[in-house]
Amino acid sequence: MLRTTLIILAIFVALFVGFVIYDLKTAKRRRETYRTKSSITAYLMLLPAVILAFLFILLPILYSLGYAFTDYYLLKPNDINFIWFDNFKNFFEELKTKGTLYNAIKNTLTFVVGVVPLQIGLGLLLSLFVNRPGIGSKIFKVCFFAPVVISLSVTSFLWLQILAAGENGLLNSLLGVFGFPPHDWLRDPKTAMPCIIVLSAWQGCGYQMLIFLSGLSNIRKELYEAASLDGANIWRKFWLVTWPGLRSTFVYIIITVFIGACRILTQPMLMTGYQDHTVTLSYYMYQQGYTFRWVGQSSAVALIMTIFIGGITLIQRRIFREKK
Amino acid sequence: MKKLLTSILSIMLAVLVAFGMTACGGGDDSTDADGNTIVKIMFHVNKTSTEGQAYLKRINAFNAAYKDEKIKAQGIFKARTAGASGYETELLNNQIEGTLADIITFDAPNTAAYAKSGLLYEISSLIPTSEQEKFFSLNKYDGKLFGLPIQESSAGFFYNKKMFAQVGINVSGYTAENPWTFEQFKNVCAQLKNAGKTAVDMRIDATKDETAPYLLYPFIYAAGGSFTDSTGYTATGYYNSASTERGFQFIKDLITEGYTSYEIGATDFFTGKVGMYLSSGWTIPDLDNKYKDFFANRDDWGLLPYPKDVAAASATGSWSYAITNNHHSNKEPIVKLLNWMTSAESSKAITDATGMIPARRDVQNDYAPGSPEYTLLKQLELSGRERPVTVAYPTFSTTFNQVITGLHSYSVATLLSTATNTLQLEMNRLQNLA
Repeated sequence: MLRTTLIILAIFVALFVGFVIYDLKTAKRRRETYRTKSSITAYLMLLPAVILAFLFILLPILYSLGYAFTDYYLLKPNDINFIWFDNFKNFFEELKTKGTLYNAIKNTLTFVVGVVPLQIGLGLLLSLFVNRPGIGSKIFKVCFFAPVVISLSVTSFLWLQILAAGENGLLNSLLGVFGFPPHDWLRDPKTAMPCIIVLSAWQGCGYQMLIFLSGLSNIRKELYEAASLDGANIWRKFWLVTWPGLRSTFVYIIITVFIGACRILTQPMLMTGYQDHTVTLSYYMYQQGYTFRWVGQSSAVALIMTIFIGGITLIQRRIFREKK
Repeated sequence: MKKLLTSILSIMLAVLVAFGMTACGGGDDSTDADGNTIVKIMFHVNKTSTEGQAYLKRINAFNAAYKDEKIKAQGIFKARTAGASGYETELLNNQIEGTLADIITFDAPNTAAYAKSGLLYEISSLIPTSEQEKFFSLNKYDGKLFGLPIQESSAGFFYNKKMFAQVGINVSGYTAENPWTFEQFKNVCAQLKNAGKTAVDMRIDATKDETAPYLLYPFIYAAGGSFTDSTGYTATGYYNSASTERGFQFIKDLITEGYTSYEIGATDFFTGKVGMYLSSGWTIPDLDNKYKDFFANRDDWGLLPYPKDVAAASATGSWSYAITNNHHSNKEPIVKLLNWMTSAESSKAITDATGMIPARRDVQNDYAPGSPEYTLLKQLELSGRERPVTVAYPTFSTTFNQVITGLHSYSVATLLSTATNTLQLEMNRLQNLA
C-alpha cells in the first residue's frame, strides 16, 4: 500500500514539476521575464495547496477507484488481489435478490424525487417571502437559515424527539389533542422515508433561500416597474421577470441539491439505523465498507454512484442549458 | 531559475525520501534499554475507568512478579469512544502499520472473522486442556482455540417486586434451575397488562447496535431454532427454519398482544412504569445505586431467568483476550502475560471492578442463592448459549436487528426469508475469500 502511494506520489510530483518546467520554458521563449518570475512565485505559493489536495482529495479518489477492482477485505489489509469486475458482478447479483441493495436504490431515488423539489420549492418561497424591505425580513432570514448552521446529527436527534413513537413523541402529543392515535413514524415503512424527506427539506431550505436571494438581488427593479406599467399581476411578474432572472441560480441549486440528496447518509443512520425501509445507497456503501469490511465492494458501489450522479448531472446541465 | 527549480525538486525528493523512511521504519521493539522483554497488551477501555484501573493493577502486579525474568507488560488503552467499530479500526490500522500489540482484547462474536483473517494467533497447544476446562466458554473457530474470555455475561428479566405484589403475581418458583416457560411468561405479561401496566421492556427498540441481538437471540434457541450450521457458512435452512420462525413469532406475539412495544422509554422500568426489563448484569449496579426513589433496596426488585420453550437458553459472551499474529516470534513471554491476565486472581479482580460474571468456574464467589448474581451465574452454567460463530457475524447482527424492527410491519416468514438470503449471500462471499 505504501509503495503504491509513493509511486502515485512520484508520478504526481513528476507531472507537476514537468508542467512547471514547461510553463516556465514557454514563458522564457516568449521573453516574458516578468511572467516567469511571477509564475515561480505563484507555483511556490500553490505548492502547499497542491500537496494537500493530492493527499486528501486526489489520493483517496485514486485509491477508491483502484479498490473497486480488488477483493480488499478490511481484516486482510496485506492481501489485496485484483478481481477486475467481480465486485460489479456481485453488485448486480445482489440487486437481483431484491434485498437491502435494491431497497437502498429505491429509497435513494424516493428521497431524491421527494427532497429536491421540496427543498428547492421551500427555498424559493422563503426567498420571495424575505426579499422585502423591513425589520421582519431580517429576523425571518436568520430564523430560516438557523437549521443550516446546526449539524445534521443535532437536527436528526431533534427530529427523533419530534417523531418519537408513543404518546410522548412531540408530534404524537400534538396530534393526540385532535384525537389521533399515536403513530410509530420512523418504524412504519409508509411514513419513515417521508419523515426523513421533510426533515431534510426543512434543514436545507434555508441555504437554498440564501442562494435564491443572491439571484433575486441581480434582477433589475426596472423590469418589475415595466411589468407593473404593462398591468402584470404578481403571478405574471414572477413568471415573466423573476423566474427567467433566477434561471442560472436555479440550475446551480438543482444540481447541488440533487448531488447532496444522492449522498444522504446521516439522517437514516441516526434516526432508524440500517433498516430496509430507510437504507440509502450511501448508507449501504458505508455498511459494506466499515461494518461488513468489504472495502473493495464498497468502492465499487462508490464508483457506480459517481457514474450515476455524474451522468444525471450532465443530463441536467444539458436540459437547463441556456438557448442562444 | 534553474537554481530555483533544482531547489523545488530537492525539497520534493527530500519529502518523498523522508516519507518513505518513516513508513519503512519499525524494527524490533520487543526489548527495552534495560534488556526487558516488552509485551504489549491493548485494551478497549479508558485507562482512568474502573475497569481500566483494574487492568492496570494486574499489569503492575505482573511486572512485579516477572521482574527477575525480565518480562515487562505495557498496557495500551484505546477507549471505544466511537463504538466497537472504532476500536476495530484502531486494531486494523495497527495491523497495517505493523504495530499490532502482542495481546488484544476483542468482542467474542468477532472470533471467527479475526481468526479466519489471520489477525489472531492459535493458542490451542499453548493453553493446557485442564486450564481450558476452567472457563465457562472459549473463543474457538474451526475447532481451534484463539482466545480466552476476560469475563462472562448473562442476562435476564429484572422485575418490579412491588408491582408484581400489587397485581398478585407470584414468580418465586421460576429460577435458573427451573426456568419458566414461554406460556408462563405470557401469562405473567397478561396479568400485568390486565392490571393496566406495561408488562415488559423487551428492548426491541435497541436495534442500532448489538443490544437487541445480544438480549434476544436466546429466544430463538429456546424455541429450538438456530441461525447457522456448525461451520458458520450456511444460513439457509437454519435462519429460516420453522423453529427459528417460532422463536421470532413469540417476540412478535408479545408486541401484537400489547405486552411490549417499541415505544417504551429507556428509564420506564427504573421509574416504576414497566413490570419487567430485559437486560444484562450491568443493570444491577444501576438498580442498587441510581433509582432509590423507586427501588430502595433489593426487596423491591428481582431477576428472573430467560423463559424456555423446547429448551432453556440464555445469553452469554463478553470481551476476550487473544494473542495476535504480529512480528514477534517469541510467544513465550506473551503466553505468560495471557495466563496471568486470565488467572483466577485476575478474573476476580476485574469482575469485582466491572460487576460482570467471572469467566472461570474456579473463581470464588459468595453469591447468595436467589440473588440476581447467583441467578445469572447459574443460568450461564446451565443454559448459556453463545451467539452464532460465523465469519459473517456483522451481517448476522445487522439482519437480526432488521428482523426485530420489521416485526412492527411484516410477517416473520417474510422477514426471515430476506434475512436468510442476505446472510447466505455474505457467507458465500466470505467462503470464497482466499
